[in-house]
Parts: sequence; C-alpha cells; structure tokens
Amino acid sequence: MSLAWTIARKDLRQRLRDRSAIVLGFVAPLVIAGLMSFAFQGTEHFHFNLLVVDQDHGPVGAALMRGLSAAPIRDVLTVRSSTTDAAAAAVHARHAGAALVIPPNFSREAENGDSVSLRVLTSVDQELDGQVAQSIASSFAAQINADRLSVETALHSGAPAATTGTLVAKAEQLRLPEQVATESIGKHPLTAISYYAPGMAIFFVLFAVGFGSRSFFTERREGTLDRMTAAPISPIAILAGKALSVFVFATLSLATMAVVSSAVFGASWGPTPEAALICIAMALSVVSLTALVITLAHTERQAESMASIFVFGLALLGGNFVFVSAAPPVMRRLALLTPNGWALRGFTDLATSSGAGAAIEPIVAILGITLVLGAVAASLARRTVVQ
Amino acid sequence: MVVSVGAVPQSSTSTRPGVDVLRCEGLTRRFGDRVAVDGVSFSIGAGETYGLLGPNGAGKTTTIKMICGLLRANAGLIEVAGTRLDGHDVRVHARIGYVPQDLALYPDLTARENLAFFGRLYRLRGRLLKERTDEVLALVELSDRADERVESFSGGMQRRLNIGAALLHRPSLLVLDEPTAGVDPQSRHAILTSIEQFGASGMAILYTTHYMEEADRICNRVGIMDRGHLIAQGSRRELVAFVAEHDRVELTATGDREAFRDACLGIDGISAATLDGESLHLLAENGRKLLPAVLEAADRVGVAINSVEVVEPDLEAVFLHLTGTALRD
Repeated sequence: MSLAWTIARKDLRQRLRDRSAIVLGFVAPLVIAGLMSFAFQGTEHFHFNLLVVDQDHGPVGAALMRGLSAAPIRDVLTVRSSTTDAAAAAVHARHAGAALVIPPNFSREAENGDSVSLRVLTSVDQELDGQVAQSIASSFAAQINADRLSVETALHSGAPAATTGTLVAKAEQLRLPEQVATESIGKHPLTAISYYAPGMAIFFVLFAVGFGSRSFFTERREGTLDRMTAAPISPIAILAGKALSVFVFATLSLATMAVVSSAVFGASWGPTPEAALICIAMALSVVSLTALVITLAHTERQAESMASIFVFGLALLGGNFVFVSAAPPVMRRLALLTPNGWALRGFTDLATSSGAGAAIEPIVAILGITLVLGAVAASLARRTVVQ
Repeated sequence: MVVSVGAVPQSSTSTRPGVDVLRCEGLTRRFGDRVAVDGVSFSIGAGETYGLLGPNGAGKTTTIKMICGLLRANAGLIEVAGTRLDGHDVRVHARIGYVPQDLALYPDLTARENLAFFGRLYRLRGRLLKERTDEVLALVELSDRADERVESFSGGMQRRLNIGAALLHRPSLLVLDEPTAGVDPQSRHAILTSIEQFGASGMAILYTTHYMEEADRICNRVGIMDRGHLIAQGSRRELVAFVAEHDRVELTATGDREAFRDACLGIDGISAATLDGESLHLLAENGRKLLPAVLEAADRVGVAINSVEVVEPDLEAVFLHLTGTALRD
C-alpha cells in the first residue's frame, strides 16, 4: 500500500503542478456553477405581473379580483387593472406576463345562462406566465359554471324565482370541493445552485478520467512505466497507485466544490456524511471509468478521445447540463444507467431533505455501476503493465 | 545457435553458476509468429561489463526487457544473483538497476523529486533515502541543480540523471539500454567514464549499444546479436582474433554502387560487402593487397572512388564477417 501511495503522491504532485488540471478540477466547476446559478436565479420562486381588464364592471369581475388577491395565488401574481390596449401593449413589451379580459356584460350574460368567455392575452416569449393565466381563467370559469349549476338546480328543485339573487350570492360563497394539492416529498425546494453545483462538480470531475488515462499512456511512452515495473513492485501496486491518485483528485475536487459552493453561493448538498459518501462513491466510479479507458485504449490519443466521449456522453445522459426532471421519460431512465445520474439524484434528494435514507439507493447504484465497469476493466487488464 | 569464436566458451558452458550476477539460459521471446529473441544464453560476473552489440531490431532491447521483468520470456531461464526471475516474486528486481533507452524521468519534477520517487520504489526511506539521493546527485554532478525541474536540463544532464536514478539502491546488476543515444561527445565521454567506475566498483553491467567503439572501450566481454540470435560472444581480443586475417575496407564512391558491390564480391579474398548510404564496407583478407583489384573493379563498372580507408580488424569487422552486413545497417 505504501508503494501505491508513493505513486499516487507523485501523480498528485504532478497534477497539482498542471494548471489545466487545477482549472478543470477546481476553478471551472465553481465558475460555471456560479454562472448557471446566476442565470437561473429566481426561477425557483415563480412570480409574474397579471393585468386584468374589467370591461364588465359587474359582480363577476369583482369576484375575480377578490380571488386573485387571495392567498395562495397572490404570492405568485402581482395584479393590476388595465385597459385592453394598454394590457396588449404591456404583454407585447413583456412588462406583464399575461392579461385577463372580462368582456362587457359578462356578469349579466353569465346570470342569464348565456354562453360567455374570458379572454387571456399571452406572449410566446412568456409561455409559462400565459399558461398560468390560462389556468386561472379556466379555474374561474369552472367556478362560475359550478355556481350557475347550483342556482339552476335550486330553482328546478322548487326554490322561488324571487330568491335567485340570494341563491347567486350564496353560490358565490361556495368553492369547488375537489382541489388538487401538490406537495413535494422533500421538505425544502430545490434551488438552481443546489442542482448545478453538484451537476458541474460531477461533470468536471469526469475529466479526471482523461487525466488519469493520459498519464498512464504518457508514462508508458516516456519509459517511466517501464522504470516502475523494473522496480521491486507488483503491477497491481502500480495500477493501485494510479487508481489512488485519480480517486484522491476526484474526491478533493468534489469536496472543494461542495464546500466553496455552499459557502459562496449557498448551495445545499445535504447532510455532510451522506454527501461525503456520495462523493466517495462517485470518485470510485471515476477510478473504474479510468481503468476501463486504460484497458480499452492502445495509445494516448485513443485514451483522450475515449475519455472525451465518456465525459460528454455521461454528462448528457446523467443530466449534468439540464434538469433531468424536465427531460423525456426515456432520458430519465437512461440517467439511471450512469453513475453521475445517480449521484445527482442523490445530491438533489439530500438537498431537499427527502429523508434519512435518501442517499442509500444512489450510493448502492453508483457502487454497482463501479463494480461492473471495474470488472470489465479487470478482465481486459491482464496485459496492461507487463506484456 | 551461437557461432563458435576461437576458444570462447559458448552457450550453456559460458555460464558460471555460483559466481554469476546474471545468468540467462535459452532466453526466447516471440511476438506472434515473429521470434524476437531466440535461445539467447550468456552470463555476467561481478565487476564485469558485458556489451550486447547489434543493429537496431537485433533483439537487444527485448533481451534487456526480459531481464528487467518488463517482458515475460516464452522460454528460458533468468537468474539474478542466484535468484530465478519468474515474474511473480518481484523482490529480485531490487538487485537490478535499469537505465532505459528513453529519458525515463518526470520533466515536471525536480531532479531531487525524481530520485526520491524512484528511491522510494526501491523501499528507501527517511535519512537513507536522503543520503543516497545526495550521493547520486553528486555522482551525476547535479547537486547544484537538484531542486530545478528536469525539463530545464540539457540533454546530457538528463541522460546523467537517467542513469543516476538506477543507482540509488546500489544494484548488483546495472542494465543500460543504449544510454548514450543522442548524447554529445563530451557527455558521452562522461557517461562512459562513470560506467567504467561502476564496473570497477564490482557492479555487473549489461550494456547495449550499436556503437562499436563504446563496446570496444568499456566492455570486458561482448555478445553480438543479429536477428534475435546471439551469434558470437567473447572478449574483444577473442572476437577480433577470429577475423584476425581480415581488414575492413571502407570506401565512398559515386555511381552505380550496387554494381560496384557485386563486382567486389567477385574478387577473390573479399568475404563480405555491404552498402551503407554512400559507403561500401568490405571485409577482405589483407585489404591493402586487394586494393588494386578493388580500384580496377570500380573502373570497370564506372564508379568514381572518393575515399578509401583500410581499418585494422575490429568488432565491426567481426559483425561484417558473421552477418555479411554492417553493424549500423
């Protein structure tokens, strides 16, 4: 073990003198995560301006305004009254996310049972705002329909026509009994930085695969691997030393990213012990990936190309660039075939406090993938050092 | 099979069990269908410098790599200081110092860091490691540059450090694979002087080169390899005695040199002729006497002779005699 550590220490010393390794392992993930966090800042707290054009000036319009200013919808919206032209101009200029137009005579026609419609003004550039406004309008229309149905039912059941006004007033107090309540399994919402900090850390730590494999082939080309092999040290110890350096570098890179992104950007990586275990599992998977590249490649250039394919392929599949939850179902399933996909899942679960055992499944999955990759590498590695 | 050269003991009888630091018997290595080293046997005693001489591709480096445990032999036996090298027990490697042909150093580490790293691989630690590192730095005359990165060193300095890295653990057997390749004459002289000193200190040295004059200078015994075979071995005097009646005639000529070579081969007393660029190497019995016939042959085929040199018998002549080709072909 001490000989393996001797080799690992030498490799790490060389790595730390290599500026590109420092940039890729420590600086780049911090900078990119910071930029992404800045770009996505506020997206986790959705809010937009809604303009209401009340051309009706009747009880329905008043009821809509009351509903919009009630909790919890008021947290999402800033509601202002406007005119049709001003609202259209504001939506077009992106000063407002959407506008609701209550047409003239809406209340009277609704009370008479005529067909009426609410208009929603949206912009293609603010699709989400438009969808929310449309949803509010649909919900409000459903409430009106329910009120009308209640009044009609009462009148057909023998209520005197003279009480219609009272019935309408009472119906307005009613709310649809069935409501959809969305509740996250986690206790805390997932912020952009809490996703992109581990996402970028894992993406850049995958570059250690390239560094590790290239270092092996450089040593072979320059004869230093032969020199090591000629020493009283087993080939296994040489490979262990190489693996150890990749592991330490990957772990240090992830740990640095976790500490700095938490302190500087307020990223949440979850409880330290669980997050540390995921980092260690991820670093082990980087070791097995490096071993696989070394055993598959024959030259430094092949190793470099292969490592690049692995890095970008895994990052795309694992969701390091985009929220996996926003990806199609196939991509979400493919993400679970990658160690980085599982690591990200583990970190996001930990960040949202999804429960004490949230890290167990990802860690087991990452270690499983690591073992499979390692076994393939080992089966090919017989002649890697001594031929 | 080894060609018998004078009274030099050959093959298995050339080994001296019990006193040999290195003993190789029937060493064979194949790469697919190609036999790179075929049944090579030789031994080296303490304080002896043994030169493996041969052109590129003769099998010298493959032989060395098997001895140093970098390649597994398909057949044969290697013993270092009486311990068989079997590929499983690497402890015997501690008796060997290996100087690869390439500059096997880390350019981004300092000279001291390089030596300390290789020293640790040989299980040197603490004060002993520091002492040996300082000792080697002094030996290779790099004490004043110890803490500078190797990438800032000249080629000759790097070559010296490359050798120094193999001496830290004081090996019984020092294996040097063409250590002077690409080195300026001054550094080459310094390296050869050092190797002579190592030999004098009792170290067994295996030295490969295709520079005949290096083998001439530092080797007690020489093995000549060609196409994977050890075709002759013995002391310089023994080998040269084998071709004692033969001179090497070196000519440079312009014109149809191939026709000139063929014409020379037809001259009675010339046993080998080989072309090397503009040069024609002849192996001739009493070269001076045959010169008129050679010049006449040149005249006949329309070749202009630019220079002629008759060289006394040497290892190059031995190689030419045994293989029919020049050493540096």
